[in-house]
Amino acid sequence: MSTVDMCVNVGGLPMKNPVTVASGTFGHGEEFAGFFDVSQLGAVTTKGVSPLPWDGNATPRIAEAPCGMLNSIGLQNPGVEEFCKSQLPWLATQDTAAIVNVSGHTLQEYVQVIERLEDEACVDAYEVNISCPNVDAGGMTFGTDPAQAAEVTTALRALTKRPLIVKLTPNVTDITVIAKAVEAAGADAVSLINTLLGMAIDAKRRAPKLARVVGGLSGPAIKPVALRMVWETYNAVDIPIIGMGGIATGEDAIEFMLAGATAVAVGAANFVDPLASLHVLEGMVAYCKENGVAQVSELIGALEV
Amino acid sequence: MDQKLQERGPVLFNRQVAEGIYHMSVLVPGIAAAARPGQFVQVMVASEPSVQFLRMPFAVFDVDEAAGSVDICYQVVGEGTEQLTRVVVGDEVDFVGPIGNGWHVPANAKHALLACGGVGVPALKLLADELAAMGARVDVVIGAQTEKRLACVEQFEDSIRDSHGALYLATDDGSTGIKGFVNAVTDELLASHDYDYVAVCGPPLMERSVALPAIEHGVTCEVSMERLMACGVGACLGCVVETKDGLKRCCVDGPVFDASEVVW
Repeated sequence: MSTVDMCVNVGGLPMKNPVTVASGTFGHGEEFAGFFDVSQLGAVTTKGVSPLPWDGNATPRIAEAPCGMLNSIGLQNPGVEEFCKSQLPWLATQDTAAIVNVSGHTLQEYVQVIERLEDEACVDAYEVNISCPNVDAGGMTFGTDPAQAAEVTTALRALTKRPLIVKLTPNVTDITVIAKAVEAAGADAVSLINTLLGMAIDAKRRAPKLARVVGGLSGPAIKPVALRMVWETYNAVDIPIIGMGGIATGEDAIEFMLAGATAVAVGAANFVDPLASLHVLEGMVAYCKENGVAQVSELIGALEV
Repeated sequence: MDQKLQERGPVLFNRQVAEGIYHMSVLVPGIAAAARPGQFVQVMVASEPSVQFLRMPFAVFDVDEAAGSVDICYQVVGEGTEQLTRVVVGDEVDFVGPIGNGWHVPANAKHALLACGGVGVPALKLLADELAAMGARVDVVIGAQTEKRLACVEQFEDSIRDSHGALYLATDDGSTGIKGFVNAVTDELLASHDYDYVAVCGPPLMERSVALPAIEHGVTCEVSMERLMACGVGACLGCVVETKDGLKRCCVDGPVFDASEVVW
């Protein structure tokens, strides 16, 4: 077989292949340009952007965990003005879709970010972060309550015609309740999962390893949880899913598509191997060739149960 | 943007040089050709994420560009570094690098003071070589808890001798050199000599104890900082350092910072 059609469409966002990166693990892409041409990816998803600069949490913000890591960065970012001035122009020159992750403490702050970004022609889609476990106000509080999740989605839907992707937290009893709420409120797609709230302790010092005490768990450790939630969500909503959580290989990514994801994001693996996202893409193409898959989109939800 | 490399290479040697401290050399010609003094590499040794998930950052201790080798010197502090001690000649390890800004050696430096302790010692070896090659006199103060944990001293000897500098050792227990902390030596040296450049690398309290007096004496002082890191490429914002100009990423904005810019 000669070539595989890797194109997918995520709620109105055409991607030349299903591979993007998880917000917060890839900067705005430029950080990885010294390693490979990020234009090879289907999309670059940026670090969360808030209306004003955020300093994030105290250090240490990172702890190693079995088969993964904990982080409590706290959405440190330079604010939307500086983002548009010093980061977005570089991403605009890359031949890949630009998904900007939007963060806020309040509904009004999400609104301010999108209003500002509507002036930037190079933004291809928004990912609304209602699932960060590392901020006190906003973030995950919107993502754990279906009414608030819908309220944010409705307000932002009214501001833009661009694809609106809502990023969901796994720290809920039933993720499908939140997914259905944002679908009904006008979301074009959902991305999941954000990190699982966790904790690490240094027994010798009787102290937490993270200054914030708790943080988000990511890496291969969370892949089974993420796959389960993608599968549940795929069976509950009609909008496309960007699946993520512990993807490190092409086969991992294929598993997410079989569970119902239209696209996939590589997260913590970028920290271990700067070329991880490219290797995932190459591995997906190889899988398709070996298994006679002409179009990668055939795999979406193709799990045989 | 500087080219960064991910390079796997065979281990040329991996030997214990002091109690709990090892010196390893790896054949990674791409990184060897690109590395500058003060930069570091991110090292992956385990093939299983259950053993080691994140890479471990180590200063580039030495480089042999002709041979294509990069040396690191590490202290055993946990499972990852324990795993590193079991690597034998011919085994392959995976480096990402060179990372970081490196030392900003003043072109006209005449007399430099290099102060280091513990795992900070390796970060200064190539700097000592460069300063000596420029014709600056290089005084080096090396600290350790005790003589048995003092490592990498002989690698400084050529530069110190060639530059007519001096070597001072300090141990907490007085088992060799002066009994006391590094700043017991540097305080005296700063008061009695006209240094035009001070470089520091070691535990945070030691860095502070040298940097603040150096700033008071009006000497240009750089510190190489250490933070827990995840990506090592500037993306995750895990390793930030508080500076007068806001938060900076230790990995790519540093690890070397102007001591007068750091919020101590």
